[in-house]
Amino acid sequence: MTEDGGAGRTGAPPLVVLEHITKRFPGVVANDDVSLELRPGEIHALIGENGAGKSTLMRVLYGMYPADGGRILVRGQEAKIASPRAAIALGIGMVHQHFVLVDPFTVTENVILGDEDGAILDRSEAERKVRELADTYGFQIDPRATVEDLSVGEEQRVEILKALYRGIDILILDEPTAVLTPSEANDLFGNLRELKASGKSIVFISHKLDEVLEIADRITVLRRGAVVGETKPAETSKATLAEMMVGRPVLFRLEKPQVEVGEPVLSVRGLRGEGKLNGIDLEVRGGEILGVAGVEGNGQRELAEALIGLRQPEGGTIELEGTDIGGRSVEDIRNAGVAYIPEDRHEQGLVLDMTLWENVVLGRHDDAEFSGSGGVLFIKKIKELASRLVKLFDVRTRSIDVYASTLSGGNQQKLILARELETDPRLLVAAQPTRGLDVGAIEFVWRQILEQKGEGRAVLLISAELDEIYALSDRIVTLYEGRITGEFPPDAAPEELGVGMLGGVREEAVG
Amino acid sequence: MATVTAAPEQAAPRIRSDRLERIAGQALALLASLLIALLLGAVLIVAYGESPAQVYGAIWEFSFGSVSNFGYVLAIATPLIFSALAVAVCFKGGLFNIGVEGQYLVAMVAAAWAALNLDFLPGGLHVVGVLVVASLGGMIWAAVPGVLKVKTGAHEVVTTIMMNGIAVSFLAWAVNFPLKAQEIPAGQNVDLRTDVFPDSALVGDIGTTFGVSRGAHLSWLLLLAIAASIVVWFLLRRTRLGYEARAVGSSPGSARAGGISIGGTQIKLFLISGALAGLVGMQQILADRGYLGLNYVAVLGFTGIAVAFLGQNNPIGIIFAAILWAVLSRGEVALQIETEVPREFVIILQGILILSVVITYQIAKRRLAARQLQRAGAVGSLEDSAAAEDIEGLAKEDR
Repeated sequence: MTEDGGAGRTGAPPLVVLEHITKRFPGVVANDDVSLELRPGEIHALIGENGAGKSTLMRVLYGMYPADGGRILVRGQEAKIASPRAAIALGIGMVHQHFVLVDPFTVTENVILGDEDGAILDRSEAERKVRELADTYGFQIDPRATVEDLSVGEEQRVEILKALYRGIDILILDEPTAVLTPSEANDLFGNLRELKASGKSIVFISHKLDEVLEIADRITVLRRGAVVGETKPAETSKATLAEMMVGRPVLFRLEKPQVEVGEPVLSVRGLRGEGKLNGIDLEVRGGEILGVAGVEGNGQRELAEALIGLRQPEGGTIELEGTDIGGRSVEDIRNAGVAYIPEDRHEQGLVLDMTLWENVVLGRHDDAEFSGSGGVLFIKKIKELASRLVKLFDVRTRSIDVYASTLSGGNQQKLILARELETDPRLLVAAQPTRGLDVGAIEFVWRQILEQKGEGRAVLLISAELDEIYALSDRIVTLYEGRITGEFPPDAAPEELGVGMLGGVREEAVG
Repeated sequence: MATVTAAPEQAAPRIRSDRLERIAGQALALLASLLIALLLGAVLIVAYGESPAQVYGAIWEFSFGSVSNFGYVLAIATPLIFSALAVAVCFKGGLFNIGVEGQYLVAMVAAAWAALNLDFLPGGLHVVGVLVVASLGGMIWAAVPGVLKVKTGAHEVVTTIMMNGIAVSFLAWAVNFPLKAQEIPAGQNVDLRTDVFPDSALVGDIGTTFGVSRGAHLSWLLLLAIAASIVVWFLLRRTRLGYEARAVGSSPGSARAGGISIGGTQIKLFLISGALAGLVGMQQILADRGYLGLNYVAVLGFTGIAVAFLGQNNPIGIIFAAILWAVLSRGEVALQIETEVPREFVIILQGILILSVVITYQIAKRRLAARQLQRAGAVGSLEDSAAAEDIEGLAKEDR
């Protein structure tokens, strides 16, 4: 943040100018008179909460939506961008959150797809070009690798290469780090700096403030479809940005309720399974939040799924208040008092094409309260519960009769929290509970988790976000290759945790 | 904490219109498809040198021209309703039961056995017994792929196709050996078949009461089929099993994490589907013919897949879809009697209908998704709502 990077070329004429762009969807103004300038060789962050209009604005620029008002100038010329193809012709490329790659194809085949020269593919020539392109910008990737064998971070590089291969100067990245591990995000930032140095302009859509402050040259904040301000990392702070985004001060450190730590609720001993869990020992007490920190892919998912009964442990014990629940069915474990916030709310949390009221009883639909012994659902009772929970958890929806798919990510997560916490659980297993959520929703989820602690419940928090671990945990353990590699107090330095997350302190902690 | 922005109660009236909108959209799509099929069909008719007005007029006449004609249509629709329901029940749980075909063949054998051997049952109980045995036959045949799917992961499409093949041979064997007719009445054809069932095993005619000719064989199986549709609707929408089935069908991961047993649910669905499939063949052997022979009406199970699709797997929609299909099938008779157009024309018409429906339902779905997206946007969740992703996905398909 010491240097002002490429944004120093303020003298250069802007590459793209968006003037007074307005985009309406019936009932909502997604972009309200938004103006924006993109200069050569800058990384321009576009931030705002979910629904603030960031993606819509960029989709207008990328030719996916026609604007209802305003105009777009590219290199000083007014441009009518009617399709992504037209955008690419103007040198504008966009990488979406969800990648569009052909899995069985190689990197090269994916990059040139749709832009092949001639009828006969010159594979080695294409490979050479792709390799050259990758080398130019310092992309670590094998042009011959098959996409299905790549990590998410590598797939993203392929998407960016696809855009670069088509000769774009302006690269739009929609929430590029949402799917990346911290180290992959760092690699991406390295690539972006290379691109910037070579004169490309990058629009970086995000709502993660730390990374925006790290990578951006300029920051434009959107709220409810309108620009609320433009700033530079050196002139602002995380708190200021958050307040601009949300419209009110946001607390990054919430008050932890003071409660007496009770008896052990969860005791895990020597838990093993599928090569991903290699003898995990941990204990969580009532009124305590145990944070499990670690780089993703070190057994987090397997640990959470073993605890809720979605995976059969191959060894070790899982005790809930002294009762062994290891290997029991999900139904039994839920009935014993375990609630679960899955890391993937679409895969394991909600049935997207069922209504909110139907989702609110998923897992409890066979309680005597909600269905009779004859198997008939008590719909009125379920709807009453749903109406109550939707209010209580501030789920923004126009009705409980709409499909869960119509909710925003934050509201979907609130719905899951509402359902899981309503059962008065003994133990809450929360896996990456704020993944993909915006600042306001994160604060809400954090408050709810802290409230569980306040009620004397035990919480096992599994998170790849150190911020989150610090904000909530009473004790922190690090997970590395399926083992607990260290235990730390909540005020341990990130460097100490970092060593644990890489497996380093195991000997020390044990010996 | 922020105040609640939308009170669910207030929005309730609007929701009812949402549902109406969806159903109206699908009905409109079906109507449009029918129109497309008729228009393309007209081109064919003209190419054949006949008048479309006359051909379609004949089909209309033979279906709606008289009470009796409509009775014929309903009799054709009866087995299709059972068949489509059997397909839909499985489909809701994410299962593709191609095996309705085999299940109803086996059920006809079971029913024939019961019709010939359970005649000791008093009064109306005999026919009830026959229907129960038929359903059991269908269930047993459906249970095999169900268990294989759950225990070994064998895909139901493959196993049910195999079971269909076995069923065809099983029926042939049954009428060749154990159930072969003891005496063929003089002057009747010598097709392989069972003895004629006793009257107590047959289902009663309801058509004559309304002036439908006896030849239509419109039986109270139609009422049973409509009742079955309502029961299936209730099962899917109002019961625990239906809830679990829909959850398993649309999001197995979330269903499992909610403690629902996926395998258990799927086996139950296969059994229910098999029981419904078991009734498909009853119209032909208990109302129409009174015996089971090698000249049985086949492919009703496969037709059920088409009808279920036309009805969008909605139990009530299936009733109407079955009637529409029956009207076209009835058209075959009209073509033979009234025109020079070959009866296969109807099959072409049905094929075009299905193809156009694939397209128009998709269009209706997109428009609905777009509206949902707009409304979701009105609550301020435009960008990352899953509806937006849907639209985006569809936009990608377009490119």
